[in-house]
Amino acid sequence: MDQIIKTTGLTKRAKDRVLAENIQLDVYKGEIYGLLGKNGAGKTTIMKMLVGMTTPSSGEIALFGKSFNEHSKSLLRRVGSLIEYPTFYEHLTAMENLQLHCEYLGYYDEQGIKHALDLVQLKGIENKKVKEFSLGMKQRLGLARAMVAKPELIILDEPTNGLDPIGIKDIRDLILVLNKEYGITFLLSSHILGEMEQVVDRIGVIEQGRLIKQVALEEIRKQHTDYIELLTTDAKRTVYLLEDQLGISNMKLVQGDRIRIYDLTYTQQQISRMLIEHNIGLEEIQKRNSSLEDYFYKLIHGGGSHD
Amino acid sequence: MIKYMRLEWRKLDRLNVWIELSIYFIIMMFLPTFFINVVLPEYGQSFTQAIELNSYIQMGIVLFGGSLINHVFIEQYKNKTMALSFGYPISRKTLFTAKILFIAAAVFAASIISFILSGLSTYVINLFAPLIEGPLSAADVIQYAGTMLTRSLLITVISFVPLFLFGIWKRAVVPTIVCSIGSMQLPNFSSFLHVHPETVVAVLAVLGAVSLAASILTAEKLGEV
Repeated sequence: MDQIIKTTGLTKRAKDRVLAENIQLDVYKGEIYGLLGKNGAGKTTIMKMLVGMTTPSSGEIALFGKSFNEHSKSLLRRVGSLIEYPTFYEHLTAMENLQLHCEYLGYYDEQGIKHALDLVQLKGIENKKVKEFSLGMKQRLGLARAMVAKPELIILDEPTNGLDPIGIKDIRDLILVLNKEYGITFLLSSHILGEMEQVVDRIGVIEQGRLIKQVALEEIRKQHTDYIELLTTDAKRTVYLLEDQLGISNMKLVQGDRIRIYDLTYTQQQISRMLIEHNIGLEEIQKRNSSLEDYFYKLIHGGGSHD
Repeated sequence: MIKYMRLEWRKLDRLNVWIELSIYFIIMMFLPTFFINVVLPEYGQSFTQAIELNSYIQMGIVLFGGSLINHVFIEQYKNKTMALSFGYPISRKTLFTAKILFIAAAVFAASIISFILSGLSTYVINLFAPLIEGPLSAADVIQYAGTMLTRSLLITVISFVPLFLFGIWKRAVVPTIVCSIGSMQLPNFSSFLHVHPETVVAVLAVLGAVSLAASILTAEKLGEV
């Protein structure tokens, strides 16, 4: 499978701070790859380096199998991007902004520009000045700009920022259509897992400037496990009783007082009966399935306190 | 390169630039006769002297250069469109060279036009209200054309004095404009420095050239957003 993005030891330092460190990122042709991490984790810095907006302190970037640096920026003709806040020449119209963008890329197709505006549902506002746009409209225009010159790779940083729920769904659908029908590779970033879950094929988890894991979503879904979660009046004693009376050791304490039991030898009824017999007040007990959210929470925060 | 220079022009709020430029032209058109009539009547003794006076007055176009540095560099850093430009398939060095050449072309053209307009207006005003002694000779016209070309070149280079330090490094509007004002006024205060005004102009031109070269050479390092 062709690698569209490959970074080796990519690092960015600024004023004694490490913004991104030793990033080894691999994005393959035709996939939708998501960078997931908290605000300030380093996602935007990585994306900025990938499109030449900022220069890496060390490390290498390869785009489409070729080394990318200040002297090989022509590779960016094949890349569309929307990084951070959608920035425009505000006194110019939407059409003028896109024309300017296309000229830098050497792409001259008036109809193509209109089609891009149409795709993001900004038809009919071509001649409106960008300073009159709302944040959501600017975000849509930024997406139109990213895709207008028919790139092979689109890099979008928090693409649904500022959009209403319908707008979020529209953009999600658009990304999927462009990926499936036109084979465009996507690199997205978000701090919202639920949003990522619905579009991406693989996820790279960024924590404090480091890429701590790259994993296929399918792989995580296969690892889903069932567990029993219970909330009692005395969590510590409950843990002791579960071990002592039922021999359960595969469990953990989460959020301070919730217990998750991964050993499903005993049913909810059997556990409830044992706790009641020992005068433990049972406030809540239910069978659940570990979600993607749990997986990433565990990855970033190192899981619960008791296993 | 011409294409990238043209794109720099298209990025600007062109109406504002035209308005600003028109104001410069109007002021420059009437300053020579105003100075001869009110402040420095000795420059009205001949057209040769009036031409010399005008060559210093036209240094005001340096301020237009400062204003363009503000629009083309500082504002674009501040509103983050500079970062956008860095994401295009051209090197930062090429981008900065295009910006600098655009400013140079605009300042040079503005200076030439201003020389022509102020020369014509001074001549016409002098016809109706004589301020300059003697007739205008062919030699005066040739001298004026020569001064116009050499001075416009010097004005263009001098207008880059604030570019490197205040435009790209510090990205500060007020110091850039203050530096431009200082550059255009300094030759007028040369007597306080006990040097010939042309020496001051030459030193400023060297500073402008150094600033311009440093801006292009350090584009990749200092140009970082």
